[in-house]
Amino acid sequence: MINLLWLKGGACGGNTMSFLSADQPNVIELVQDFGVRIIYHPTIGLEIGEQVKEILHDCLEERIALDLFVFEGSVVQGPAGTGSMNIFADRPMMEWVALLAPKARYVMAVGDCAAWGGIVAVPPNPTESTGLQHHKKQRGGFLGADFRSRAGWPVINIPGCPAHPDWMTQIIVAVATGRIRDIELDEWGRPRTFFTSFTQTGCTRTRAFAKGRKGRFGQRDGCLYYEVGCRGSMTRSSCNRILWNRTSSKTRANHPCLGCTEPGFPHHDLKKGSVFKTMKYLGLVPREAPEGATPLGFFLKKLIR
Amino acid sequence: MATKELNISPVGRVEGDLDVKVYMENGVVTRAHTQAAMYRGFEKILQGKDPQSGLIVTPRACGICGGSHLYCASFALDTAWQTTLPPNALLLRAIGQATETIQSIPRWFYAIFATDMANKKFANKPLYEEVVKRFAAYVGTSFQRGVTASGRPVEVYALFGGQWPHSSYMVPGGVMCAPTLKDITRAHSIMNHFRNDWLESVWLGCSIERYLEIKTWDDLMAWLEENESHYNSDLGLFIRAGLEFGLDKFGQGVGKFLAWGTYIHKDMYNHPTIDDRNAACISPAGFFDGEKYYPANQEQVAEYIKHAWYENQADGLHPFDEPPPTPSQNPSNLEHSDFRGKYSWAKAPRFNGHAAEVGPLARVIMAANPNNAPHQIQDPLFGDIMKRMGPSVFTRVLARMHEAPRLYKLIEEWLTQIDLDGEFYIKPKERDGRGWGATEAARGALAHWIEVENGVIKNYQIISPTTWNVGPNDAQNNPGPIEAALEGTEIEDPHDPVEVGMVARSFDSCLVCTVHAHDAKSGKELARFKI
Repeated sequence: MINLLWLKGGACGGNTMSFLSADQPNVIELVQDFGVRIIYHPTIGLEIGEQVKEILHDCLEERIALDLFVFEGSVVQGPAGTGSMNIFADRPMMEWVALLAPKARYVMAVGDCAAWGGIVAVPPNPTESTGLQHHKKQRGGFLGADFRSRAGWPVINIPGCPAHPDWMTQIIVAVATGRIRDIELDEWGRPRTFFTSFTQTGCTRTRAFAKGRKGRFGQRDGCLYYEVGCRGSMTRSSCNRILWNRTSSKTRANHPCLGCTEPGFPHHDLKKGSVFKTMKYLGLVPREAPEGATPLGFFLKKLIR
Repeated sequence: MATKELNISPVGRVEGDLDVKVYMENGVVTRAHTQAAMYRGFEKILQGKDPQSGLIVTPRACGICGGSHLYCASFALDTAWQTTLPPNALLLRAIGQATETIQSIPRWFYAIFATDMANKKFANKPLYEEVVKRFAAYVGTSFQRGVTASGRPVEVYALFGGQWPHSSYMVPGGVMCAPTLKDITRAHSIMNHFRNDWLESVWLGCSIERYLEIKTWDDLMAWLEENESHYNSDLGLFIRAGLEFGLDKFGQGVGKFLAWGTYIHKDMYNHPTIDDRNAACISPAGFFDGEKYYPANQEQVAEYIKHAWYENQADGLHPFDEPPPTPSQNPSNLEHSDFRGKYSWAKAPRFNGHAAEVGPLARVIMAANPNNAPHQIQDPLFGDIMKRMGPSVFTRVLARMHEAPRLYKLIEEWLTQIDLDGEFYIKPKERDGRGWGATEAARGALAHWIEVENGVIKNYQIISPTTWNVGPNDAQNNPGPIEAALEGTEIEDPHDPVEVGMVARSFDSCLVCTVHAHDAKSGKELARFKI
């Protein structure tokens, strides 16, 4: 039996909705079969008001052993460092995070906002948002690069916008069943088991990619890398190995990968010409190449072929 | 005559953060204030960005209604860029919107609303035991089946959009996908599972077709008594327990309703303009003032910030005229808010000067408009129910659940209409201009206003259903819909004011709600409460 506390900061709740769509195990099985006691969750918790505060204080004063602290959404520090743009249970959420994280055996950031700020931290970052242990591509974030939870772990980042439910449930089960030692984190705090291969692994358009056949919207063939900005060849995720909603993935539905499991998301900060378009040098050479290649090298290789 | 102040923080099971402060005299709420406790600044972020940024950013405004935001964002660009939309694209957008909404119906009912009916407040009621057996969180028999079934419809969304939540598959000019027969067949099959596993077997206790024969409250009562299957279905239990628990007796609200309508007809909006939109909706748009229906013209919307933590803008501006928001740098402490001044991160939108309730109840009221066109939903049931009972927590919940059978039928119909040999996307020409996109999110009217200038976003304004419902007082200090709905509510046990939570949750505001109690005279905080 482990105690899990889930809080939301500058969040849309998308990771919660993703979590509620989990299967094998689903959320009910997580509770009933895997010994996960959800001591509070803002969407499905029964408690409100004072009772929530009691639970939080029980964690702080260690009357409840906090095994896993799950945080969704950015840490909102605005305006002017006060955090009062995100009040929860009578105080800025960032204060609760600062107090609770050191009490937890493990801390898990679900989604990009919690991991590194995500969309809410796009300039001008009006809420002064940041992630738990990263701010975009910089280590540090709200808790600092040196933060370690009680079990000696940095924040476990489950990025994605939202994170895939299986990525969340499998880490929760690993903690609950004592198998967390089987989990290894990469340089961005992501479990390698989900974030070593690329989104392209398992994509149904790899042949079009190899042939340089260009894909566009509303079509059934062609690779989306060349014209509509697909980042599947430079993004580490298992979206095409562990399908979404048991049925599909973005690239299988002819939707370019947005690169949402990488700390740069949304890439190029949404500047003009960067959305659903492959940015090119001289209108010809894609500015970003698949992982391991240079833009010009990759372009020439295609040209020669 | 002691006036008591009850402060609830957080209220919970609404998405986001909502604090509610109520003033009570002799156990009755005389005044209420709702405070949205979070600001994220999406409109500010969008300023100066690529015009298509809204397709990525706005679905992330709400993880529950991401598809609805996408629906708005794509149509806003369609109207600004003057695109051409093939029928397939309109069908696939409507299917996305509808599957997201139908997903939310059992998920909201079991995970968010019905667990309140298992509150000990109702322990002395004869039906309480049965309600707990079915609706208690996690362990209730129907809780499990309903929450599990809620994951099904969004599998259809994922077939066409790649994933749910947070796809961006609707783009100006159409949709990204070009489905094949396999996708259509699987979609039918997944929807069949939803019908067999929950909608007919657990919820209705009858066929969808039988349920849709109900046209009046008397029909509904006759249906209830017709056989044991109806009587013992979850809908049957909700009706019986809802009335027994008195849910029809509180949470009336402002009595005015707004819907933008949605599910734009495949052949009626192939050259999208702002003006032509509402007439093309299958789920009709409109404003209902309690007696008469009026067109829902977006030009009649204005937002007020006298009581919202924003600066540097005039009160009562139309979204096209509003500047990107400037948040207050010193929002007062939520616990010590001065309700004569600014007290919420939500603005107060008004339609033609009126606070208006949005949501499923508004939609089914518009569906009862006798002047609806042949392509629009024509369903008199809630016209009759409103005359008989008026709005309440019960009416609101019934309205939401009533949408599931009809949405199921519509989704099935649209799936059959997709022409696999037809176009799904027509590449548009990008240009500057103004656009408007609107829809009905599961929880109510949602709209986006965009202005593109020099190839980037000059202004982007979003008015979400939650803003309509939880918004604060306006410039004339008239309350927002939830504030109004809380007034007159009897709090049976001030140490467990479940009624306040039920009213807030009957609106399904996307905020996490919070309550504290103060003695109004001394200002001293009484024991705090859970709801």
